[in-house]
Amino acid sequence: MISLILRRGALSLATLFLLASFIFFATEVLPGDALDVSLSADEVAMMPPEVLARRKAELGLDRPILERYLGFLGGLRKFDLGRTIITRAPVADIVAMPLRNSMALAAVTLLLALPVALGIAMAAAQAKGRGLDNAVSGAAIIGYSIPEFVTGLLLIAVFAVWWPIFPATITASTNDPLSVLLAAAPLAVFTTIIGSIAYLGRILRVGMIEVMASDFVERLHLSGIPRWRILLVHALPAAVIPGLSAAALYAASLVSGIVVVEMVFAYPGIGAELVRAVTRREVHVVQAIALAAAICVVSFNLLADLGISALDPRTRSA
Amino acid sequence: MKALLRNPACLIGILLVVLHLVVAIGAPWVAPYAPTSLLDAPLEPPSATYWLGTDDLGRDAFSRLLWGGRVAMLVAFAAGIIAVVGGAVLGLSAAFMRGAFDDCMLCLVEMKLAVPTILFVAIFVTGFGQSIPILILAIGIIQMMGVIRTTRAAGIVLMEQGYVRAAQLNGESGPKIILRELLPNVADLMAVEFALRASSALLLVSALSFLGLGISPPTPDWGLMVEDAMALLDSEPHLVLAPALAISTLVLGINLAAEGLAEALGLDAARGGASG
Repeated sequence: MISLILRRGALSLATLFLLASFIFFATEVLPGDALDVSLSADEVAMMPPEVLARRKAELGLDRPILERYLGFLGGLRKFDLGRTIITRAPVADIVAMPLRNSMALAAVTLLLALPVALGIAMAAAQAKGRGLDNAVSGAAIIGYSIPEFVTGLLLIAVFAVWWPIFPATITASTNDPLSVLLAAAPLAVFTTIIGSIAYLGRILRVGMIEVMASDFVERLHLSGIPRWRILLVHALPAAVIPGLSAAALYAASLVSGIVVVEMVFAYPGIGAELVRAVTRREVHVVQAIALAAAICVVSFNLLADLGISALDPRTRSA
Repeated sequence: MKALLRNPACLIGILLVVLHLVVAIGAPWVAPYAPTSLLDAPLEPPSATYWLGTDDLGRDAFSRLLWGGRVAMLVAFAAGIIAVVGGAVLGLSAAFMRGAFDDCMLCLVEMKLAVPTILFVAIFVTGFGQSIPILILAIGIIQMMGVIRTTRAAGIVLMEQGYVRAAQLNGESGPKIILRELLPNVADLMAVEFALRASSALLLVSALSFLGLGISPPTPDWGLMVEDAMALLDSEPHLVLAPALAISTLVLGINLAAEGLAEALGLDAARGGASG
Protein backbone atom coordinates (compact mmCIF):
# COMPACT_ATOMS: atom_id res chain seq x y z
CA MET A 1 0.00 0.00 0.00
CA ILE A 2 2.81 2.41 0.89
CA SER A 3 4.67 1.75 -2.33
CA LEU A 4 1.41 2.29 -4.19
CA ILE A 5 0.88 5.64 -2.51
CA LEU A 6 4.45 6.65 -3.33
CA ARG A 7 4.14 5.58 -6.96
CA ARG A 8 0.81 7.34 -7.48
CA GLY A 9 2.13 10.39 -5.67
CA ALA A 10 5.18 10.55 -7.93
CA LEU A 11 2.93 10.19 -10.98
CA SER A 12 0.75 13.07 -9.76
CA LEU A 13 3.82 15.25 -9.26
CA ALA A 14 5.03 14.41 -12.76
CA THR A 15 1.62 15.36 -14.17
CA LEU A 16 1.74 18.68 -12.35
CA PHE A 17 5.27 19.35 -13.56
CA LEU A 18 4.23 18.73 -17.18
CA LEU A 19 1.18 20.94 -16.71
CA ALA A 20 3.22 23.75 -15.23
CA SER A 21 5.54 23.52 -18.24
CA PHE A 22 2.58 23.54 -20.61
CA ILE A 23 1.12 26.60 -18.88
CA PHE A 24 4.46 28.42 -19.06
CA PHE A 25 5.01 27.68 -22.73
CA ALA A 26 1.43 28.46 -23.76
CA THR A 27 1.43 31.84 -22.04
CA GLU A 28 5.01 33.07 -22.00
CA VAL A 29 6.89 31.46 -24.88
CA LEU A 30 4.68 30.70 -27.86
CA PRO A 31 2.78 34.00 -27.98
CA GLY A 32 5.77 36.18 -26.95
CA ASP A 33 6.80 36.90 -23.37
CA ALA A 34 4.70 37.92 -20.38
CA LEU A 35 4.91 41.62 -21.20
CA ASP A 36 3.84 41.11 -24.83
CA VAL A 37 0.83 39.17 -23.58
CA SER A 38 0.02 41.71 -20.86
CA LEU A 39 -0.04 44.65 -23.24
CA SER A 40 -2.41 44.93 -26.16
CA ALA A 41 -0.97 45.13 -29.68
CA ASP A 42 -1.76 48.87 -29.80
CA GLU A 43 0.10 49.55 -26.58
CA VAL A 44 3.17 47.68 -27.85
CA ALA A 45 3.01 49.62 -31.14
CA MET A 46 2.74 52.94 -29.27
CA MET A 47 5.70 52.25 -27.00
CA PRO A 48 9.15 53.37 -28.22
CA PRO A 49 11.41 50.32 -28.67
CA GLU A 50 13.92 51.43 -26.04
CA VAL A 51 11.19 51.85 -23.40
CA LEU A 52 9.88 48.39 -24.24
CA ALA A 53 13.38 46.96 -23.95
CA ARG A 54 13.93 48.67 -20.60
CA ARG A 55 10.63 47.36 -19.21
CA LYS A 56 11.58 43.88 -20.35
CA ALA A 57 14.97 44.11 -18.70
CA GLU A 58 13.34 45.30 -15.46
CA LEU A 59 11.00 42.32 -15.50
CA GLY A 60 13.84 39.93 -16.35
CA LEU A 61 12.22 39.08 -19.66
CA ASP A 62 15.46 39.68 -21.63
CA ARG A 63 16.89 36.44 -20.23
CA PRO A 64 16.89 33.35 -22.45
CA ILE A 65 13.76 31.17 -22.40
CA LEU A 66 15.42 28.31 -20.56
CA GLU A 67 16.52 30.60 -17.75
CA ARG A 68 13.06 32.12 -17.40
CA TYR A 69 11.53 28.62 -17.43
CA LEU A 70 13.83 27.45 -14.64
CA GLY A 71 13.05 30.63 -12.71
CA PHE A 72 9.32 29.94 -13.10
CA LEU A 73 9.68 26.36 -11.86
CA GLY A 74 11.97 27.48 -9.00
CA GLY A 75 9.35 30.03 -7.93
CA LEU A 76 6.65 27.36 -7.95
CA ARG A 77 8.73 25.11 -5.74
CA LYS A 78 8.75 27.84 -3.12
CA PHE A 79 5.05 28.63 -3.74
CA ASP A 80 6.18 31.98 -5.08
CA LEU A 81 3.73 32.83 -7.83
CA GLY A 82 5.37 36.13 -8.76
CA ARG A 83 3.77 39.52 -9.12
CA THR A 84 1.40 40.89 -11.72
CA ILE A 85 3.21 42.52 -14.62
CA ILE A 86 1.47 45.88 -14.63
CA THR A 87 0.57 46.64 -11.00
CA ARG A 88 3.31 44.49 -9.39
CA ALA A 89 0.86 43.09 -6.80
CA PRO A 90 1.81 39.68 -5.36
CA VAL A 91 -0.22 37.04 -7.21
CA ALA A 92 -0.58 34.80 -4.16
CA ASP A 93 -2.46 37.57 -2.30
CA ILE A 94 -4.85 38.06 -5.20
CA VAL A 95 -5.64 34.39 -5.58
CA ALA A 96 -5.68 33.10 -1.97
CA MET A 97 -9.10 34.20 -0.70
CA PRO A 98 -11.06 33.56 -3.93
CA LEU A 99 -9.46 30.10 -4.03
CA ARG A 100 -10.60 29.42 -0.48
CA ASN A 101 -14.14 30.53 -1.36
CA SER A 102 -14.30 28.35 -4.46
CA MET A 103 -12.96 25.32 -2.61
CA ALA A 104 -15.65 25.79 0.04
CA LEU A 105 -18.30 25.87 -2.68
CA ALA A 106 -16.85 22.70 -4.22
CA ALA A 107 -16.69 20.91 -0.87
CA VAL A 108 -20.29 21.75 0.05
CA THR A 109 -21.43 20.65 -3.41
CA LEU A 110 -19.64 17.33 -3.13
CA LEU A 111 -20.90 16.63 0.40
CA LEU A 112 -24.51 17.30 -0.53
CA ALA A 113 -24.56 15.90 -4.08
CA LEU A 114 -22.80 12.59 -3.49
CA PRO A 115 -25.33 10.98 -1.09
CA VAL A 116 -28.25 12.17 -3.20
CA ALA A 117 -26.66 10.85 -6.39
CA LEU A 118 -25.95 7.51 -4.71
CA GLY A 119 -29.51 7.24 -3.49
CA ILE A 120 -30.91 8.06 -6.91
CA ALA A 121 -28.55 5.61 -8.60
CA MET A 122 -29.60 2.80 -6.25
CA ALA A 123 -33.29 3.52 -6.71
CA ALA A 124 -32.85 3.63 -10.48
CA ALA A 125 -30.85 0.40 -10.56
CA GLN A 126 -33.57 -1.31 -8.49
CA ALA A 127 -36.16 -0.30 -11.05
CA LYS A 128 -33.98 -0.91 -14.11
CA GLY A 129 -35.93 -0.46 -17.35
CA ARG A 130 -39.12 0.57 -15.56
CA GLY A 131 -40.75 3.95 -15.02
CA LEU A 132 -38.56 5.27 -12.24
CA ASP A 133 -35.32 4.29 -13.97
CA ASN A 134 -36.44 5.88 -17.23
CA ALA A 135 -37.46 9.02 -15.38
CA VAL A 136 -34.03 9.20 -13.71
CA SER A 137 -32.18 8.63 -16.99
CA GLY A 138 -34.33 11.24 -18.68
CA ALA A 139 -33.77 13.76 -15.90
CA ALA A 140 -30.02 13.08 -15.99
CA ILE A 141 -29.73 13.64 -19.73
CA ILE A 142 -31.70 16.88 -19.43
CA GLY A 143 -29.58 17.84 -16.41
CA TYR A 144 -26.28 17.60 -18.23
CA SER A 145 -27.60 19.11 -21.45
CA ILE A 146 -28.51 22.40 -19.80
CA PRO A 147 -25.56 24.77 -19.33
CA GLU A 148 -24.85 25.72 -15.71
CA PHE A 149 -25.49 29.39 -16.38
CA VAL A 150 -28.97 28.53 -17.64
CA THR A 151 -29.77 26.40 -14.57
CA GLY A 152 -28.52 29.22 -12.36
CA LEU A 153 -30.59 31.86 -14.12
CA LEU A 154 -33.69 29.64 -14.04
CA LEU A 155 -33.26 29.26 -10.29
CA ILE A 156 -32.90 33.04 -9.98
CA ALA A 157 -36.02 33.55 -12.11
CA VAL A 158 -38.06 31.18 -9.94
CA PHE A 159 -36.69 31.72 -6.43
CA ALA A 160 -35.52 35.32 -6.56
CA VAL A 161 -37.85 37.03 -9.03
CA TRP A 162 -41.23 35.29 -9.12
CA TRP A 163 -41.14 33.90 -5.61
CA PRO A 164 -38.53 36.03 -3.88
CA ILE A 165 -37.32 33.84 -1.03
CA PHE A 166 -33.59 33.91 -1.86
CA PRO A 167 -31.28 36.72 -2.97
CA ALA A 168 -30.43 36.73 -6.69
CA THR A 169 -26.78 37.67 -6.30
CA ILE A 170 -24.40 37.41 -3.43
CA THR A 171 -23.77 40.43 -1.30
CA ALA A 172 -21.12 38.90 0.96
CA SER A 173 -17.58 39.99 0.15
CA THR A 174 -14.41 38.10 -0.62
CA ASN A 175 -12.93 38.08 2.87
CA ASP A 176 -16.10 37.23 4.82
CA PRO A 177 -16.04 34.04 6.89
CA LEU A 178 -17.10 30.98 4.88
CA SER A 179 -20.28 30.49 6.91
CA VAL A 180 -21.47 33.98 5.99
CA LEU A 181 -20.50 33.53 2.37
CA LEU A 182 -22.16 30.14 1.87
CA ALA A 183 -25.28 31.20 3.78
CA ALA A 184 -25.56 34.13 1.37
CA ALA A 185 -25.27 31.83 -1.64
CA PRO A 186 -28.02 29.18 -1.45
CA LEU A 187 -28.94 29.40 -5.15
CA ALA A 188 -25.30 29.14 -6.25
CA VAL A 189 -24.92 25.99 -4.16
CA PHE A 190 -28.17 24.55 -5.59
CA THR A 191 -26.95 25.17 -9.12
CA THR A 192 -23.66 23.33 -8.69
CA ILE A 193 -25.44 20.52 -6.84
CA ILE A 194 -27.95 19.99 -9.65
CA GLY A 195 -25.14 19.67 -12.20
CA SER A 196 -23.21 17.30 -9.94
CA ILE A 197 -26.19 15.06 -9.26
CA ALA A 198 -26.88 14.70 -12.98
CA TYR A 199 -23.21 13.88 -13.61
CA LEU A 200 -22.60 11.53 -10.68
CA GLY A 201 -26.03 9.90 -10.78
CA ARG A 202 -25.52 8.87 -14.38
CA ILE A 203 -22.13 7.27 -13.77
CA LEU A 204 -23.14 5.58 -10.51
CA ARG A 205 -26.34 4.20 -12.06
CA VAL A 206 -24.33 2.41 -14.76
CA GLY A 207 -22.01 0.93 -12.11
CA MET A 208 -24.92 -0.10 -9.94
CA ILE A 209 -26.80 -1.82 -12.76
CA GLU A 210 -23.66 -3.67 -13.80
CA VAL A 211 -23.08 -4.96 -10.28
CA MET A 212 -26.70 -5.93 -9.70
CA ALA A 213 -26.62 -8.03 -12.88
CA SER A 214 -23.39 -9.80 -11.88
CA ASP A 215 -23.02 -13.44 -10.86
CA PHE A 216 -21.93 -12.62 -7.36
CA VAL A 217 -25.10 -10.68 -6.60
CA GLU A 218 -27.09 -13.58 -8.09
CA ARG A 219 -25.28 -15.95 -5.69
CA LEU A 220 -26.06 -13.72 -2.71
CA HIS A 221 -29.69 -13.73 -3.81
CA LEU A 222 -29.82 -17.49 -4.00
CA SER A 223 -28.30 -17.80 -0.56
CA GLY A 224 -31.28 -15.86 0.75
CA ILE A 225 -29.72 -12.55 1.75
CA PRO A 226 -32.37 -9.80 1.69
CA ARG A 227 -32.29 -7.46 -1.26
CA TRP A 228 -31.71 -4.25 0.71
CA ARG A 229 -28.71 -5.88 2.40
CA ILE A 230 -27.20 -6.94 -0.90
CA LEU A 231 -27.74 -3.45 -2.23
CA LEU A 232 -26.21 -1.58 0.68
CA VAL A 233 -23.52 -3.94 1.93
CA HIS A 234 -22.35 -5.83 -1.15
CA ALA A 235 -23.30 -3.90 -4.27
CA LEU A 236 -22.67 -0.34 -3.11
CA PRO A 237 -18.87 -0.58 -2.64
CA ALA A 238 -18.51 -2.40 -5.95
CA ALA A 239 -20.66 0.16 -7.74
CA VAL A 240 -18.71 3.07 -6.33
CA ILE A 241 -15.55 1.91 -8.13
CA PRO A 242 -16.51 3.09 -11.64
CA GLY A 243 -17.68 6.27 -9.97
CA LEU A 244 -14.25 6.76 -8.44
CA SER A 245 -12.46 6.15 -11.71
CA ALA A 246 -14.58 8.91 -13.22
CA ALA A 247 -13.69 11.13 -10.26
CA ALA A 248 -11.01 13.11 -12.05
CA LEU A 249 -13.35 13.96 -14.89
CA TYR A 250 -15.96 14.94 -12.36
CA ALA A 251 -13.54 17.13 -10.41
CA ALA A 252 -12.47 18.93 -13.58
CA SER A 253 -16.06 19.46 -14.67
CA LEU A 254 -16.96 20.68 -11.19
CA VAL A 255 -14.24 23.33 -11.42
CA SER A 256 -15.45 24.42 -14.87
CA GLY A 257 -19.01 24.52 -13.56
CA ILE A 258 -18.03 26.54 -10.54
CA VAL A 259 -16.25 29.12 -12.69
CA VAL A 260 -19.49 29.73 -14.58
CA VAL A 261 -21.81 29.60 -11.58
CA GLU A 262 -19.66 32.14 -9.75
CA MET A 263 -20.13 34.56 -12.61
CA VAL A 264 -23.91 34.08 -12.60
CA PHE A 265 -24.24 34.81 -8.88
CA ALA A 266 -21.31 37.20 -8.45
CA TYR A 267 -19.80 34.71 -5.99
CA PRO A 268 -16.33 35.99 -5.02
CA GLY A 269 -14.25 32.99 -6.09
CA ILE A 270 -11.58 32.02 -8.62
CA GLY A 271 -14.13 32.07 -11.47
CA ALA A 272 -14.66 35.79 -11.21
CA GLU A 273 -10.92 36.30 -10.66
CA LEU A 274 -10.08 34.18 -13.72
CA VAL A 275 -12.39 36.09 -16.04
CA ARG A 276 -11.05 39.39 -14.75
CA ALA A 277 -7.46 38.22 -15.16
CA VAL A 278 -7.98 36.90 -18.70
CA THR A 279 -9.71 40.04 -19.92
CA ARG A 280 -7.05 42.25 -18.30
CA ARG A 281 -4.30 39.94 -19.57
CA GLU A 282 -2.80 39.36 -16.14
CA VAL A 283 -0.73 36.38 -17.23
CA HIS A 284 0.60 35.42 -13.83
CA VAL A 285 -2.83 35.39 -12.19
CA VAL A 286 -4.19 33.11 -14.95
CA GLN A 287 -1.17 30.85 -14.46
CA ALA A 288 -1.71 30.72 -10.70
CA ILE A 289 -5.41 29.92 -11.01
CA ALA A 290 -4.77 27.22 -13.60
CA LEU A 291 -2.10 25.65 -11.40
CA ALA A 292 -4.21 25.84 -8.26
CA ALA A 293 -7.12 24.17 -10.05
CA ALA A 294 -4.79 21.51 -11.44
CA ILE A 295 -3.38 20.79 -7.99
CA CYS A 296 -6.91 20.36 -6.60
CA VAL A 297 -7.98 18.05 -9.42
CA VAL A 298 -4.77 16.00 -9.30
CA SER A 299 -5.00 15.54 -5.52
CA PHE A 300 -8.65 14.58 -5.84
CA ASN A 301 -7.71 12.07 -8.51
CA LEU A 302 -4.94 10.69 -6.33
CA LEU A 303 -7.37 10.17 -3.44
CA ALA A 304 -9.84 8.48 -5.79
CA ASP A 305 -7.12 6.15 -7.11
CA LEU A 306 -6.16 5.17 -3.59
CA GLY A 307 -9.85 4.71 -2.78
CA ILE A 308 -10.20 2.31 -5.70
CA SER A 309 -7.28 0.20 -4.57
CA ALA A 310 -8.66 0.12 -1.04
CA LEU A 311 -12.05 -1.07 -2.31
CA ASP A 312 -10.91 -3.32 -5.15
CA PRO A 313 -8.18 -5.81 -4.27
CA ARG A 314 -7.75 -6.73 -7.95
CA THR A 315 -6.12 -3.39 -8.76
CA ARG A 316 -3.51 -3.59 -6.01
CA SER A 317 -0.96 -5.55 -7.98
CA ALA A 318 -1.32 -3.25 -10.99
CA MET B 1 -31.13 3.76 -39.18
CA LYS B 2 -34.54 2.18 -38.64
CA ALA B 3 -33.58 1.30 -35.06
CA LEU B 4 -32.73 4.95 -34.52
CA LEU B 5 -36.11 6.15 -35.73
CA ARG B 6 -37.99 3.61 -33.64
CA ASN B 7 -36.43 4.90 -30.41
CA PRO B 8 -38.68 7.85 -29.49
CA ALA B 9 -36.06 9.72 -27.44
CA CYS B 10 -33.57 9.42 -30.26
CA LEU B 11 -36.15 10.55 -32.81
CA ILE B 12 -36.90 13.67 -30.75
CA GLY B 13 -33.16 14.31 -30.55
CA ILE B 14 -32.68 14.03 -34.30
CA LEU B 15 -35.67 16.30 -34.95
CA LEU B 16 -34.30 18.93 -32.54
CA VAL B 17 -30.89 18.86 -34.20
CA VAL B 18 -32.39 19.06 -37.71
CA LEU B 19 -34.64 21.94 -36.65
CA HIS B 20 -31.68 23.86 -35.23
CA LEU B 21 -29.56 23.18 -38.29
CA VAL B 22 -32.32 24.34 -40.66
CA VAL B 23 -32.83 27.53 -38.64
CA ALA B 24 -29.10 28.21 -38.42
CA ILE B 25 -28.54 27.71 -42.13
CA GLY B 26 -31.72 29.53 -43.13
CA ALA B 27 -31.34 32.45 -40.71
CA PRO B 28 -30.22 35.00 -43.34
CA TRP B 29 -33.41 34.31 -45.34
CA VAL B 30 -35.85 33.66 -42.50
CA ALA B 31 -34.88 36.36 -39.99
CA PRO B 32 -37.13 39.43 -40.35
CA TYR B 33 -34.30 41.92 -39.66
CA ALA B 34 -30.52 42.06 -39.76
CA PRO B 35 -29.23 40.77 -36.41
CA THR B 36 -26.87 43.65 -35.72
CA SER B 37 -28.79 46.67 -36.96
CA LEU B 38 -30.23 49.11 -34.44
CA LEU B 39 -33.88 49.32 -35.37
CA ASP B 40 -35.94 50.92 -32.67
CA ALA B 41 -36.01 52.03 -29.04
CA PRO B 42 -34.27 49.59 -26.68
CA LEU B 43 -36.33 47.02 -24.74
CA GLU B 44 -39.55 47.28 -26.75
CA PRO B 45 -41.95 44.58 -25.50
CA PRO B 46 -42.76 41.66 -27.84
CA SER B 47 -45.17 42.73 -30.59
CA ALA B 48 -46.28 41.84 -34.12
CA THR B 49 -43.34 43.86 -35.51
CA TYR B 50 -40.71 42.46 -33.12
CA TRP B 51 -41.82 38.98 -32.02
CA LEU B 52 -39.48 38.92 -29.04
CA GLY B 53 -39.22 42.67 -28.64
CA THR B 54 -35.95 44.55 -28.96
CA ASP B 55 -32.82 44.06 -26.85
CA ASP B 56 -30.95 46.59 -24.74
CA LEU B 57 -29.51 48.24 -27.86
CA GLY B 58 -32.77 48.22 -29.85
CA ARG B 59 -31.92 45.21 -32.04
CA ASP B 60 -34.61 42.65 -32.98
CA ALA B 61 -34.31 39.86 -30.39
CA PHE B 62 -36.07 37.28 -32.58
CA SER B 63 -33.68 37.80 -35.50
CA ARG B 64 -30.74 37.57 -33.12
CA LEU B 65 -32.17 34.33 -31.72
CA LEU B 66 -32.34 32.81 -35.21
CA TRP B 67 -28.76 33.89 -35.96
CA GLY B 68 -27.46 33.17 -32.48
CA GLY B 69 -26.51 29.53 -32.95
CA ARG B 70 -24.55 29.86 -36.16
CA VAL B 71 -21.09 30.74 -34.88
CA ALA B 72 -21.38 28.53 -31.79
CA MET B 73 -22.39 25.56 -33.98
CA LEU B 74 -19.59 26.30 -36.42
CA VAL B 75 -17.06 26.32 -33.57
CA ALA B 76 -18.53 23.18 -31.97
CA PHE B 77 -18.71 21.16 -35.18
CA ALA B 78 -15.28 22.25 -36.41
CA ALA B 79 -13.77 21.46 -33.00
CA GLY B 80 -15.63 18.12 -33.02
CA ILE B 81 -14.15 17.19 -36.39
CA ILE B 82 -10.63 18.14 -35.27
CA ALA B 83 -11.13 16.14 -32.07
CA VAL B 84 -12.50 13.02 -33.75
CA VAL B 85 -10.14 12.87 -36.74
CA GLY B 86 -7.04 13.84 -34.77
CA GLY B 87 -8.01 11.69 -31.82
CA ALA B 88 -8.72 8.60 -33.93
CA VAL B 89 -5.44 8.87 -35.82
CA LEU B 90 -3.41 9.38 -32.62
CA GLY B 91 -5.36 6.80 -30.61
CA LEU B 92 -5.10 4.11 -33.29
CA SER B 93 -1.43 4.90 -33.88
CA ALA B 94 -0.84 4.46 -30.16
CA ALA B 95 -2.66 1.12 -30.25
CA PHE B 96 -0.62 0.05 -33.28
CA MET B 97 2.81 1.19 -32.11
CA ARG B 98 2.54 0.81 -28.35
CA GLY B 99 5.87 1.56 -26.67
CA ALA B 100 7.05 5.12 -26.13
CA PHE B 101 4.46 6.76 -28.41
CA ASP B 102 1.66 4.99 -26.57
CA ASP B 103 3.08 6.14 -23.23
CA CYS B 104 3.19 9.72 -24.51
CA MET B 105 -0.44 9.56 -25.59
CA LEU B 106 -1.51 8.09 -22.24
CA CYS B 107 0.40 10.82 -20.48
CA LEU B 108 -1.37 13.50 -22.55
CA VAL B 109 -4.76 11.96 -21.78
CA GLU B 110 -3.86 11.80 -18.11
CA MET B 111 -2.77 15.45 -18.12
CA LYS B 112 -6.02 16.54 -19.72
CA LEU B 113 -7.90 15.05 -16.79
CA ALA B 114 -6.23 17.53 -14.47
CA VAL B 115 -7.15 20.65 -16.43
CA PRO B 116 -10.73 21.87 -16.33
CA THR B 117 -11.69 22.63 -19.93
CA ILE B 118 -12.65 26.23 -19.27
CA LEU B 119 -9.21 26.87 -17.77
CA PHE B 120 -7.47 25.20 -20.71
CA VAL B 121 -9.25 27.48 -23.16
CA ALA B 122 -8.65 30.47 -20.85
CA ILE B 123 -4.89 29.78 -20.98
CA PHE B 124 -5.04 29.71 -24.78
CA VAL B 125 -7.09 32.89 -24.93
CA THR B 126 -4.67 34.66 -22.55
CA GLY B 127 -1.71 33.65 -24.67
CA PHE B 128 -3.07 33.93 -28.19
CA GLY B 129 -5.97 36.36 -27.92
CA GLN B 130 -9.67 35.86 -28.36
CA SER B 131 -10.60 34.74 -31.86
CA ILE B 132 -12.72 32.08 -33.53
CA PRO B 133 -9.79 30.04 -34.94
CA ILE B 134 -8.12 29.98 -31.50
CA LEU B 135 -11.39 28.84 -29.91
CA ILE B 136 -11.82 26.05 -32.47
CA LEU B 137 -8.23 24.92 -32.02
CA ALA B 138 -8.27 25.03 -28.21
CA ILE B 139 -11.61 23.24 -27.90
CA GLY B 140 -10.64 20.73 -30.60
CA ILE B 141 -7.38 19.87 -28.82
CA ILE B 142 -8.93 19.45 -25.39
CA GLN B 143 -11.77 17.31 -26.76
CA MET B 144 -9.27 15.23 -28.72
CA MET B 145 -7.88 13.67 -25.54
CA GLY B 146 -11.10 11.80 -24.78
CA VAL B 147 -11.22 10.48 -28.35
CA ILE B 148 -7.61 9.28 -28.09
CA ARG B 149 -8.61 7.31 -25.00
CA THR B 150 -11.62 5.54 -26.52
CA THR B 151 -10.15 4.86 -29.98
CA ARG B 152 -6.91 3.60 -28.44
CA ALA B 153 -8.86 1.13 -26.31
CA ALA B 154 -10.85 -0.01 -29.35
CA GLY B 155 -7.64 -0.20 -31.44
CA ILE B 156 -5.92 -2.47 -28.93
CA VAL B 157 -8.80 -4.94 -29.22
CA LEU B 158 -8.69 -4.72 -33.02
CA MET B 159 -4.93 -5.39 -33.13
CA GLU B 160 -5.66 -8.93 -31.93
CA GLN B 161 -8.05 -9.64 -34.82
CA GLY B 162 -7.09 -12.12 -37.52
CA TYR B 163 -7.34 -9.70 -40.44
CA VAL B 164 -5.04 -7.17 -38.78
CA ARG B 165 -2.55 -9.95 -38.05
CA ALA B 166 -2.83 -11.07 -41.66
CA ALA B 167 -2.18 -7.56 -42.96
CA GLN B 168 0.85 -7.30 -40.70
CA LEU B 169 2.21 -10.64 -41.92
CA ASN B 170 1.62 -9.48 -45.49
CA GLY B 171 4.15 -6.78 -44.72
CA GLU B 172 1.75 -3.87 -45.12
CA SER B 173 3.07 -0.58 -43.80
CA GLY B 174 1.97 0.90 -40.49
CA PRO B 175 0.02 3.87 -41.87
CA LYS B 176 -1.73 1.56 -44.32
CA ILE B 177 -2.84 -0.81 -41.57
CA ILE B 178 -4.01 2.07 -39.41
CA LEU B 179 -5.99 3.70 -42.23
CA ARG B 180 -7.26 0.60 -44.04
CA GLU B 181 -7.77 -1.97 -41.31
CA LEU B 182 -8.25 -0.09 -38.04
CA LEU B 183 -9.94 3.19 -38.97
CA PRO B 184 -12.96 1.73 -40.81
CA ASN B 185 -13.64 -0.49 -37.81
CA VAL B 186 -13.93 2.42 -35.40
CA ALA B 187 -16.23 4.44 -37.69
CA ASP B 188 -19.23 3.69 -35.41
CA LEU B 189 -17.33 4.80 -32.36
CA MET B 190 -16.16 7.95 -34.16
CA ALA B 191 -19.74 8.87 -35.08
CA VAL B 192 -20.87 8.60 -31.45
CA GLU B 193 -17.75 10.42 -30.24
CA PHE B 194 -18.37 13.22 -32.74
CA ALA B 195 -21.88 13.76 -31.38
CA LEU B 196 -20.72 13.70 -27.76
CA ARG B 197 -17.75 16.00 -28.43
CA ALA B 198 -19.89 18.43 -30.43
CA SER B 199 -22.44 18.64 -27.63
CA SER B 200 -19.86 19.30 -24.94
CA ALA B 201 -18.06 21.73 -27.25
CA LEU B 202 -21.33 23.63 -27.62
CA LEU B 203 -21.78 23.76 -23.85
CA LEU B 204 -18.20 24.93 -23.53
CA VAL B 205 -18.36 27.61 -26.19
CA SER B 206 -21.64 29.04 -24.90
CA ALA B 207 -20.27 29.05 -21.34
CA LEU B 208 -17.14 30.85 -22.61
CA SER B 209 -19.22 33.40 -24.50
CA PHE B 210 -21.32 33.90 -21.39
CA LEU B 211 -18.11 34.59 -19.44
CA GLY B 212 -16.94 37.01 -22.12
CA LEU B 213 -14.04 34.76 -23.16
CA GLY B 214 -15.61 33.16 -26.22
CA ILE B 215 -17.40 34.68 -29.19
CA SER B 216 -17.14 38.48 -29.09
CA PRO B 217 -19.86 41.07 -29.67
CA PRO B 218 -21.46 42.23 -31.89
CA THR B 219 -21.75 38.69 -33.32
CA PRO B 220 -25.21 37.43 -32.35
CA ASP B 221 -24.65 34.49 -30.00
CA TRP B 222 -26.90 32.74 -27.48
CA GLY B 223 -24.33 32.73 -24.67
CA LEU B 224 -23.66 36.44 -25.17
CA MET B 225 -27.37 37.19 -25.39
CA VAL B 226 -27.99 35.49 -22.05
CA GLU B 227 -25.12 37.42 -20.49
CA ASP B 228 -26.36 40.74 -21.93
CA ALA B 229 -29.92 40.25 -20.70
CA MET B 230 -29.03 38.68 -17.35
CA ALA B 231 -29.51 41.91 -15.42
CA LEU B 232 -32.97 42.32 -16.99
CA LEU B 233 -34.24 38.97 -15.75
CA ASP B 234 -36.97 40.51 -13.60
CA SER B 235 -38.31 42.97 -16.19
CA GLU B 236 -37.60 41.24 -19.55
CA PRO B 237 -37.32 37.50 -18.76
CA HIS B 238 -38.00 36.51 -22.40
CA LEU B 239 -34.67 38.04 -23.47
CA VAL B 240 -32.87 35.54 -21.19
CA LEU B 241 -35.16 32.55 -21.53
CA ALA B 242 -35.34 32.44 -25.34
CA PRO B 243 -31.58 32.04 -25.99
CA ALA B 244 -31.24 29.82 -22.90
CA LEU B 245 -33.94 27.51 -24.26
CA ALA B 246 -32.27 27.51 -27.68
CA ILE B 247 -28.88 26.34 -26.34
CA SER B 248 -30.45 23.76 -24.05
CA THR B 249 -32.67 22.19 -26.71
CA LEU B 250 -29.81 21.96 -29.18
CA VAL B 251 -27.46 20.28 -26.70
CA LEU B 252 -30.26 18.03 -25.46
CA GLY B 253 -31.06 17.07 -29.06
CA ILE B 254 -27.46 16.11 -29.81
CA ASN B 255 -27.17 14.14 -26.55
CA LEU B 256 -30.44 12.25 -27.15
CA ALA B 257 -29.38 11.43 -30.70
CA ALA B 258 -25.92 10.33 -29.51
CA GLU B 259 -27.39 8.11 -26.81
CA GLY B 260 -29.77 6.49 -29.32
CA LEU B 261 -26.96 6.05 -31.83
CA ALA B 262 -24.71 4.48 -29.21
CA GLU B 263 -27.48 2.11 -28.18
CA ALA B 264 -28.22 1.13 -31.79
CA LEU B 265 -24.52 0.45 -32.39
CA GLY B 266 -24.08 -1.41 -29.12
CA LEU B 267 -21.66 1.12 -27.66
CA ASP B 268 -21.86 2.48 -24.15
CA ALA B 269 -22.29 6.25 -24.32
CA ALA B 270 -22.30 6.71 -20.55
CA ARG B 271 -18.88 5.11 -20.28
CA GLY B 272 -17.37 6.86 -23.28
CA GLY B 273 -18.78 9.81 -21.50
CA ALA B 274 -19.31 13.40 -22.52
CA SER B 275 -17.18 15.30 -20.10
CA GLY B 276 -17.08 18.90 -18.97
